[in-house]
Amino acid sequence: MQKRTESHTLITLSIVCALLLVTVLFAGCTSSTTQPVTTAATAAPASPDTPVGTPVASETTAAPATPAPATTTAAAVAATSTPAPVYTYSEGNVVAYTAASLSGVSPKLAADFEKMYPGHKVVFNLAGTQALKTQVVNGAYADVFISASNAYTTELTNGGYFVTGTVKPLTSNYVIVILPANNPANIKSLSDLAKPGVKIAMADKSVPVGSATTSAMGKMAKSTEFSKDWNTSVYSNVVTYETSEPAVASKVELGEVDAGFVYESTAIAGGDKYQSVSIPKTYNYLQTYTIGVMKQSTSKGAAADFENFMLSSVGQQDLKDYGFRSL
Amino acid sequence: MKPAGSLSEKYRRTLSYSLAGLLILAVTLYLALPVAALFFRTTPELFWSSLSDPLVISALWLSMTTSVISLAVVILVGTPFAYVHARTSYPGKVIVDTLIDLPLVLPPAVAGFALLVLYGRMGLIGRYFNMMGISIAFTTLAVIMAQIFVASPFYLRQAKSLFEQFDQSYEHTARTLGASPLRTFLTITIPLTASGLVSGAVMTFGRALGEFGATIMFAGNLPGVTQTMPLAVYVGMESNFNLGLTISILLVLISFAIMITVRLVTRKEVLHA
Repeated sequence: MQKRTESHTLITLSIVCALLLVTVLFAGCTSSTTQPVTTAATAAPASPDTPVGTPVASETTAAPATPAPATTTAAAVAATSTPAPVYTYSEGNVVAYTAASLSGVSPKLAADFEKMYPGHKVVFNLAGTQALKTQVVNGAYADVFISASNAYTTELTNGGYFVTGTVKPLTSNYVIVILPANNPANIKSLSDLAKPGVKIAMADKSVPVGSATTSAMGKMAKSTEFSKDWNTSVYSNVVTYETSEPAVASKVELGEVDAGFVYESTAIAGGDKYQSVSIPKTYNYLQTYTIGVMKQSTSKGAAADFENFMLSSVGQQDLKDYGFRSL
Repeated sequence: MKPAGSLSEKYRRTLSYSLAGLLILAVTLYLALPVAALFFRTTPELFWSSLSDPLVISALWLSMTTSVISLAVVILVGTPFAYVHARTSYPGKVIVDTLIDLPLVLPPAVAGFALLVLYGRMGLIGRYFNMMGISIAFTTLAVIMAQIFVASPFYLRQAKSLFEQFDQSYEHTARTLGASPLRTFLTITIPLTASGLVSGAVMTFGRALGEFGATIMFAGNLPGVTQTMPLAVYVGMESNFNLGLTISILLVLISFAIMITVRLVTRKEVLHA
């Protein structure tokens, strides 16, 4: 009897040990090439031998955009960059690392993408572009990268992370100042931001909208309309440097700050949630978003499809509906 | 009857020893390797040069002062509270008992959001403070409040269970000898539960030092005012990788230093007793 329990404990011990070792090895060996679990596509198949980007003909009733322009852009993209497209169900998932300012429009984009390319699915990883860039550089898997800052796009391009020729300008955005709906500090113009006691939220300068804000503020400081003193007073009124653009907007929405520097798209899409004070174009900074297919992607066909969708009139219209400025 | 199978006995013993050794090795490596990796990612020159960066210094100073103040508040308020809670039975004790554990399971970001919604200038209580001209959110006070909220359960639970398990006959003896309740508490109860209380305090300090989610939600992120070391790591990691690395290493070193100091101090106490 004793012998049985002893061997029993030994067996349990060895199983536990083995499991722990496996876990440690697994944790240590998990590399950047871990692929996301792709769910099998359930929609009707499109013709597998046509080049990348051709939407299914039967879906014309649902898809508002005409297939023709999509095909030409697709053909152009396919001709210059993507490898010989092979449409298989396993290629149906797209992991899109996307700048956080597209959070509001992302559900619409996902729905319209699936309509245009039935069988494809897109999963958005929304965070500040600086956070996404750090993740990718440290081995995170992405099929598509939508960057809110040319600086980060250049950094990734120089690092060889994109498939050459797939990096395209996507849309643009100006910086704007939003105020809570009831405007507690009674801010009527940009000069009011320098009033003592006003609480302002900005994004950290590592966040694309943060560096855009810094540029705009710098331009205003050099101007005659505003001055260096105004600039200093505004910066002394800043109470927090948030780590993403939506975080700034939420502090304003909560009414905890009197003003926040965000993108125009947030102000437009937010509607009655905010009041806003615009920054004149002469001082403003036009942020250009870019989209690109990642070299490490194992679903380059689907990724290119997604890029085509975003550049198509459907994708562009969705972005415009949410306040983004078409290029 | 076989003689006490010495070979199979030895075999079994070596097997169980090696298995136990593997187990310990696996756990130790899993905890130690990530920390070691931090040190391997930088060079001593880079580390020392970035130590003088104003961002690092202000984050370090802010983190240390706020964590010490948070710990002091938790100990000063928490110890009498835990004693009363352990010794008396009052209506609603069960609810209070559960509430003490709440910050442990509540995600820190939720805690921060809740604090903001309560103490922010639009908050339930905060609006009255705001009317008096006192702002709580986005200040260093908010950092301390957030740290206290998330870190206090570590000390409270420890103190509470220590006092519950403490042999009251010591206290009764002291009382019969004429000591007042306060004197008994300070000279009998506390010294005998000190090592347990100190370990609770260490955990509280560590938790307060490492608090991120509640801080960034409730206090915001302003260098010199509310940017503690964990916030600086997060922001620095994306804009200045080396800075983030330096601050991470600093945090590791500080944590180790605290743990070692505490172990030495408490060991001394045991020797004397």
